[in-house]
Amino acid sequence: MNKAIQNRTFSGGSKYVLDEELAKIVNISIALEMPLLLKGEPGTGKTMLAHAIAEALQMRLIVLNVKSSMKLIDALYQYDTLTRLNDSRFGDSKRDVSNIEDYIKMGKIGQSFASDERVVLLIDEIDKADTDFQDDMLDVLDQMEFDIIEIDKTIQAKNRPVIVITSNAKKDLSDPFLGRCNFHHIAFPEPDMMRKIVEVHFTGIDKELLDSAVRTFYRLREIKGVEKKPATRELINWIRALRSDPDFRVKDLVKGEVPFLGILYKKSPDYAVAQNAVGRFRA
Amino acid sequence: MFVDFFYLLKKVGIPVSPTSFLRLQKALNMGLVNSVDDFYTAARSILVKSERYFDLYDQVFAHRFQGVELKEPDAVEISDVARALLEEWLKNPRELADLVGIKEEDLSKLTPEELLQYFLDRLKEQTEAHHGGKKWIGTGGTSPVGHSGYHPGGMRVGGVSRNKSAVKVAMERRYRDYSQEGPLTESQMGEALKRLRNMVPHGPKDRVNIDETIYETMKNAGEIEIVFDQSLRDRLKVILAIDNGGWSMDPYIGLVQTLFNYARAQFKELKTFFFHNTIYDYLWEDPQRRSKPFPLDELPRLDPETRFIIIGDASMAPYELLSTDGSIYVGERSGKPSYMRLEFIAKTFPHSVWINPVPPVEWAYTRTILHIQEIFPMFELTLDGLEKAVSHIMRKN
Repeated sequence: MNKAIQNRTFSGGSKYVLDEELAKIVNISIALEMPLLLKGEPGTGKTMLAHAIAEALQMRLIVLNVKSSMKLIDALYQYDTLTRLNDSRFGDSKRDVSNIEDYIKMGKIGQSFASDERVVLLIDEIDKADTDFQDDMLDVLDQMEFDIIEIDKTIQAKNRPVIVITSNAKKDLSDPFLGRCNFHHIAFPEPDMMRKIVEVHFTGIDKELLDSAVRTFYRLREIKGVEKKPATRELINWIRALRSDPDFRVKDLVKGEVPFLGILYKKSPDYAVAQNAVGRFRA
Repeated sequence: MFVDFFYLLKKVGIPVSPTSFLRLQKALNMGLVNSVDDFYTAARSILVKSERYFDLYDQVFAHRFQGVELKEPDAVEISDVARALLEEWLKNPRELADLVGIKEEDLSKLTPEELLQYFLDRLKEQTEAHHGGKKWIGTGGTSPVGHSGYHPGGMRVGGVSRNKSAVKVAMERRYRDYSQEGPLTESQMGEALKRLRNMVPHGPKDRVNIDETIYETMKNAGEIEIVFDQSLRDRLKVILAIDNGGWSMDPYIGLVQTLFNYARAQFKELKTFFFHNTIYDYLWEDPQRRSKPFPLDELPRLDPETRFIIIGDASMAPYELLSTDGSIYVGERSGKPSYMRLEFIAKTFPHSVWINPVPPVEWAYTRTILHIQEIFPMFELTLDGLEKAVSHIMRKN
């Protein structure tokens, strides 16, 4: 493997505020060639991390969005039988019906293996799929190769991709799977960290707005009985909305008014609970 | 060189594997780890595979590299519990003074530590006098899942602790809230409940089964034969019965409400009922237990495959459970004692559990808990307990 690439270290992206601990973990995982498994509340930037790694190391990012019904083979390759059947019956395409390889399409993992340069492979929300998917994937990621049964060919990874796997902890991952990954849990950022994150997204944001928005945000997160607490993504969208509203004054936040509450709470029972609680802010 | 550390992790119950230990050695050999801080991060990410063990890891790390005493879990828990109780009671000093048997004026002279110590002493003396529903230490919110729970939002992030040594970071025990016995947060609860799903084919046949279609088409000598299937839906029926009466359940009401909110979103069919202390002739569909009674004798008309989940502290005066007219409500006098009613429910719904917010260590001290445990499998209301309960009721037989 190319030493120069292997020795590249990661120190953050242009839109991603990295904490030092996480940077160490990412670099160790890259050096050990281990997939990095990230867990954490929604909105703590698990997916964004993969984007940031790709950006910082100047590699292409391939995203595999795992779905609940997904089988491993879908992520590796697809044998498009229906098109072939169609071609064989009507024969109006340029594909060669007798050549099965023409009907093999690479899935996301397949693409990352076949790529000529090293890529970052993000396997997003792996916990959505069932345990079979995870177990099957182990061997593939371990051996860095898979077989295409239909054409009796083995696809080997040209370059070992940097693998980032995210999980929302919907299901427990199996022990053998965990054993092959490095693990990190991203905690929800503290206010100081959050201020930095917001600043990265809105360069030159008004200090007063930043402080009151972040303060209000953490106050809102304290509200009990809410199913989905607002996370970083919601905060950023909310600040965007505040900034674009010509009638908005920072003083309103200090007074305890929270405009655009619907951006922060997207479920109607949560919205009702939050609205109720915000009513008490003013008092 | 870190073999002791590794075995210590294993000893405290973190599932660490030799392979991961070798991998850590590899990382050390590659020169990736240059300081204790690096070691803290690297070893955790390589050895520890769940945030639930991060807290234990922190403790072991602090112990191994700083000689911080490893606490017996019990000691920690009792004082935490006591502290939580005390905080609650300090809101009303008079009540507390009455309870611990000292004058209110004397109470104000004690420092919180002295008070806590005094309180703990009393707690130890108090292990046997649990009867008649008058026990003054025991039911009032002593569960680790209690109302004093912090939530992960308030936790420290490594990013802002740059100037601290790893040992200090470890000693902060910032992952305590994620540890397995820690307080249940709302999302954890939702995740545990999601396992209650039971997918069965249902509805119109509107999904193309590709594999079958290809097979049938081949059999049909290439004439396309499309095979349709029903889609999978969750058809699990769940009944939740909640003890929402009496002060003994008060500390858990918030928690149980969240549980409700989650449950509502999870299932197609969910009935919720309320009761006070234990169940007699009626369950109630309204939380006030006044306007919508549901006679217990109607239950057999429901699907016996329904999962019946009871949440309550199971703590009451023994006569409420055992006597033929034990109900504290005059309207319920059918002549059947409550424990027979509970047995009836357990027989009607083979998949039933009792979830108890009182920590299991205290179960043995409450007679009614012991009694109800014989009728229903009982689990504690923590993440761990909830998971066990769910896997129990999802068993096929």
